[in-house]
Amino acid sequence: MEVSDGYQTPGERQQQQWMDQAFSMAEEALEKGEVPVGCLMVHNNEILGRGRNQVNETKNATRHAELVAVDEVLEWCARNNRQRSPVLASTALYVTVEPCVMCAAALRLLNIPLVVYGCRNERFGGCGSVLNIPTENLEDTGTPFQCVGGYRAEEAVELLKTFYKAENPNAPKSKVRKKE
Amino acid sequence: MEPHCKRRRTEEMDPFPWEMIPVLSDEKSGDVELVEAYAAPIFNKKETSRLVKLMANIYPLNDLPHIKRVRACVDKDSDHPLEILICLRSSASVADVPDRKPSLIDLLPSGMGDCNSLGQPFQVTIPAKQPLTRPQFEAASQHWPTAFHENKQVTEALRGQLFNPEEKAKMQMFMGKAIEAARAGKEMGMEPVGAVIVDPATNQIIAVGHDCRNGPNALLHAVMVCIDLVAHGQGGGAFDHNKYPNCLFVATKDLSEDNNVIDIGKPLIPLDHQNAPGSGKDLPYICTGYDLYVSREPCVMCAMALVHSRIHRVFYATSSPDGALGTKYKIHTKKDLNHHYEVFKGLMEKECQRL
Repeated sequence: MEVSDGYQTPGERQQQQWMDQAFSMAEEALEKGEVPVGCLMVHNNEILGRGRNQVNETKNATRHAELVAVDEVLEWCARNNRQRSPVLASTALYVTVEPCVMCAAALRLLNIPLVVYGCRNERFGGCGSVLNIPTENLEDTGTPFQCVGGYRAEEAVELLKTFYKAENPNAPKSKVRKKE
Repeated sequence: MEPHCKRRRTEEMDPFPWEMIPVLSDEKSGDVELVEAYAAPIFNKKETSRLVKLMANIYPLNDLPHIKRVRACVDKDSDHPLEILICLRSSASVADVPDRKPSLIDLLPSGMGDCNSLGQPFQVTIPAKQPLTRPQFEAASQHWPTAFHENKQVTEALRGQLFNPEEKAKMQMFMGKAIEAARAGKEMGMEPVGAVIVDPATNQIIAVGHDCRNGPNALLHAVMVCIDLVAHGQGGGAFDHNKYPNCLFVATKDLSEDNNVIDIGKPLIPLDHQNAPGSGKDLPYICTGYDLYVSREPCVMCAMALVHSRIHRVFYATSSPDGALGTKYKIHTKKDLNHHYEVFKGLMEKECQRL
């Protein structure tokens, strides 16, 4: 399926593999005491950026997995002497949780054509849960993008639940660790 | 009660060439919504409390808790002193006949009690929702008496009385710094947007920054830059701002001792357990309690970044076409979100229009 000029959506099996890697990033976030969200940014079947939530580490509440991964893509462009806009316009995001309103707006501003996500984000979701940024009429805020949700959604929710349980200082230590 | 008033001279009531208005939620800023209802005169005043109970039984008006059941007759010379609200037109038990006024027999089921002291029903319009601001209350009361719990701060804000001249002078100074930063950014080829983060408890500037979106990262809008500068001041931060001499932060804690304090494996203060024991209340949690002064209305990304950062208040000068704090959205009042903040617009609007 074609979602924008020159961008071809990869096959489903390929997409699942990207999502599996995004889940590894989410698990890494959990181990580091961060909200377990992980993501990958893929351009021409090549991973240009990986991200996991880094809010606590950086004391910056905007350091969501998506924005961390975007920085890696931008660095990749600089390193490889590639123009940013055409690369971003054909880079898909694979993320374990629906992007929040902030990240959805950021993805629009960068003209990312496709987002594949796991579970919904009822508290902050910007792709339908709280607002629907990908399809809104915002002429000054980049371009609309396609959004596909629901991949390994239950596992993504379980990861989040584990995190919020772990944050409770009264919770038993054993429950903090995720099962291998 | 108002000690700063005596300082005002009539000659210069307001020395500020700008007007700042609060950006309220749609519920607070909207017009009073009206619904049609039936009321009837009460001829015998002594019957009032019995009639109120009777009506409450037949038509409880559960969705209109703000509506007072009885009002004094508007016309002083009328033959009855009071009027009682019977029911909404939409919930009247009589089939709606457009050209005919319903009688008491139509509206009240027989055998419900003695209604001899009631007169012929007539149609009224009543406020559909509880008024939230004084202007709304005043408009609503023109139609039918309503309950109103005044939020003094909102009322003062709407009257332009929320901030005294001393406070306004400070605000003008902070926005002036944002304008300076915007100009400096512009000279470096950036979008002319500047922002300042202030701790209003101490009037200390915590961070000053300008838009950097035309640099290597298109997402570094002025607000995102300032949020990261505050993080640097707390021993964190994600971006290198050294290239930009006009992007500055103040350390809010002693960073030299910090090496062992930052424990990456531990959340600073867990979002959902801020009252949990040992959560370290003395540490500043990102932008909690801070004010942002920004020359232009933030976009939806920046407005949501401020929700995540727990900002206290935002002051901006000019609106943006896709602005998310009043123009396209009111992210700061969005009910589903877990943090809300106050927003005022118009501070030094003219100066910022020229940027």
